[in-house]
Formats: sequence, C-alpha cells, structure tokens
Amino acid sequence: MISFSDVLRYLLGSFFGTIGFAWLTRVPKRAWLPSGIIAAVVYMIYWLLPQAGVSESMAVFLGSLFGSLAGHVCARRIHMINTVFLMSAIVPVVPGLGLYRMMAYLGQGQTALGADQGVRAMIIIAMTALGLVMGGFAERLIHRDGGSH
Amino acid sequence: METENRSFSPDQMMETLQLAAQIIMESGGETFRAEETVCRMGAGFGLQQVESFAVPSGLFISYRTADGRLETSVRRVHPGRTDLTKVNQVNGISRQAAAGRLSAEEALQQLKALDMLRKTPAGFGALGAAAVCAAGFCFLFRGNWPEALLAAAIAALVQGIRLFSERMHGHGIISNILGGLLTAFLPALAAGWIPELMTEAVVAGALMPLVPGVAMANAVQDSLRGDMFSGLSHGAQALLTACLIAGGALLSPPLLRLLKGGGL
Repeated sequence: MISFSDVLRYLLGSFFGTIGFAWLTRVPKRAWLPSGIIAAVVYMIYWLLPQAGVSESMAVFLGSLFGSLAGHVCARRIHMINTVFLMSAIVPVVPGLGLYRMMAYLGQGQTALGADQGVRAMIIIAMTALGLVMGGFAERLIHRDGGSH
Repeated sequence: METENRSFSPDQMMETLQLAAQIIMESGGETFRAEETVCRMGAGFGLQQVESFAVPSGLFISYRTADGRLETSVRRVHPGRTDLTKVNQVNGISRQAAAGRLSAEEALQQLKALDMLRKTPAGFGALGAAAVCAAGFCFLFRGNWPEALLAAAIAALVQGIRLFSERMHGHGIISNILGGLLTAFLPALAAGWIPELMTEAVVAGALMPLVPGVAMANAVQDSLRGDMFSGLSHGAQALLTACLIAGGALLSPPLLRLLKGGGL
C-alpha cells in the first residue's frame, strides 16, 4: 500500500540525506540540487518497483542504472566531473539499515540472522555496482570521445 | 602559448603536472582521472610522449622535452580529506590547459592557490553537513523528528571527533572505530530513557555520513576503465572502512552490558 506520506518521507529523506552527504564530501554547490533529485528518483525506483512485484535486487540494479545514466548526462550538461553524480546514485541505496541489523544480530550472537542480513546487504551492494558499471558502458558507447567529465 | 611555455623550465613543467595529479588523488579523485589530466595538460603544454602511471599511493610521470631529453618523476601520494570541488577545479584547469587557453605558468599559479586552500583545516560546516545527512537518512529509515534530531546530534559529534583527530594528525582507523562505537552506543543508551525511541533508525541514519561513498564510486569508475589495480585498491579501502565502523558498532552491546552491571 503506497501512501502519500510515505512517498513524501522517502522523497525528502533521500533528497536531503544526499545533499548532506554532498556537502560533507564538498561537492560543488551547483551540483547539490541535481544530485538530490537523482538520489530521490533512484530511491523511488528502488522502493516502488518491489511493490509492483519486481525483486529487490532488480529494483536496486534499475535504480542505480538510472542514477548512472542521469549522472553522466548531468556531468556533460553542467560540465562537471561525473563522480559527484555517481556518488549520489549510490548513497541512498547503500543498505545502511541492513548492515546495522547484521551487526546487531552478530553482536547478540545470532549468527544465522546476521549472516542472512549480511548476504542481503552484499547483494544490494553488488547490484548497485553492476547498475553503475552498465550505465558507464552505455555512456561510453554513446559518447566515444573518452571524456572524463 | 607554446612560446610562453618554452620559458618554463622542465622542472617547473613537471611540478605543474605533479601538483595537478596530486591534488586530484589526495582530494578523493580517481586514479584514471589523475593519469588523464597529466597526459592532457602535458600535450597542451607542447610536451612529447607524455606518460603517466598512477596508483592510489603514488604517481609516476615522464615526458620528452623539446630538446629530446626524457624527464621522469615519482611522487608519493598520501590520502587526504575528500574535496570533490577541488577535483572539479583541477579538471577545469586541465581542460583549459589542454585547449591552449592557459599557459603552464598560469596553471601552476592556479594549482598552487588551490593547494594552499586544500591544506586549511575543515571548518564547522562539516558538522552541519553530517547532521543534515544523518537526519535525512533517518527519515528514510522510517524515523520521526526525535530520532532524526538524535541522529543529527550523534553524527555531528562523530564528525567533530574525526575533525579533531585529523587536526591532531591522528589515524583514520581509530576515528572510524570510535565513530562506529558512538553511533551504535549512544542511541542504545538513549533508548534506556526514551523507551519508544526507534534505535534502528537513529543508528542507521547516523552511520550514513561515515559511508565510504567516494571510495565506492572510485572503485567502480577505475575498474570500468580497466584499471583493476586501482579499482581493487579503492574497493578494499571502502571495505576496510566499513569493517572498522562495523567493528566499532559491535563493541557497543558488551559496553552497554558492562554499564548495566553485567559481564562483557
């Protein structure tokens, strides 16, 4: 069940969380807004697709693929290094809660539950990396000038 | 422009290339970007056979001067504070130099000015940044205002400790372990006084500013360019940072038990 308050919570949470992260890593200020928007869309893909029956790992992959492509487009349009936008695509889907649960279970001696959370978190990290790599390949196929924006 | 560059000695030319690559790598840029910057700038300055090989801990540059001599240099690179604005600015300088719009002397002046700025200590802005980041992600993890405020306060405190450690030239390992420990311990302690507190959301939110996001992005970017060595190195750095933070957080439950009068 998708409620308006949930949509608002996830949009604003990922937007402001990513802008805070961009500020922390000293991303140029004019990249903050596009970074926040990319992050919010990536998180929406990650959250909404499983509600339509898509697996969580595929949703992460599609989210980071979109983030990677959008990041490369923004880097070319704004004439800025692509790292700032790729980072924004990664940060909201980092399985922070999953990793915390893994640590909490391991700390309580519940190894099986901890391992289960750990494996799920690793799958999310792997699918995020795969989405970024595929987005990068697609961008290099489209723009063959080898520019490093 | 080339005539202007001829008055610049090979040593100064090398210093310009070294400084550009060093700022990129020490500010959190990718190794492929450092290599590309050296080659583009060198070609823009009219140098021949410009070669560059960078690994996350060092930089090798060689080129042939107009009179046919081969100049080579090695420079050790030390990890510094992540500053993607600096990486972007060096990228801009290198593009202008490659296009012939900037002489080597002008490029060196601009790079030195950037380097001076880079060495100034981080201000209190970093505390605010960590607080905004933690509060935003705390909402994402289904926390509410009390959880978001607590996550913001803890993230700012941890960031303050990291800045203090940086100023004291302390090791990043200690500040990461301490950061993980405080991030897990303080919400658990607060939950003793506020039973309805969603500890999970506070911890997960406050952990987000510690995520090695730049190292993760660099690992992917370098691997994508076929530089597996740098890709694996950045990936290992991200993994090590995550393990240290997790290790610190794992110390929290026994510490809490100890405080409550139980055993370790």
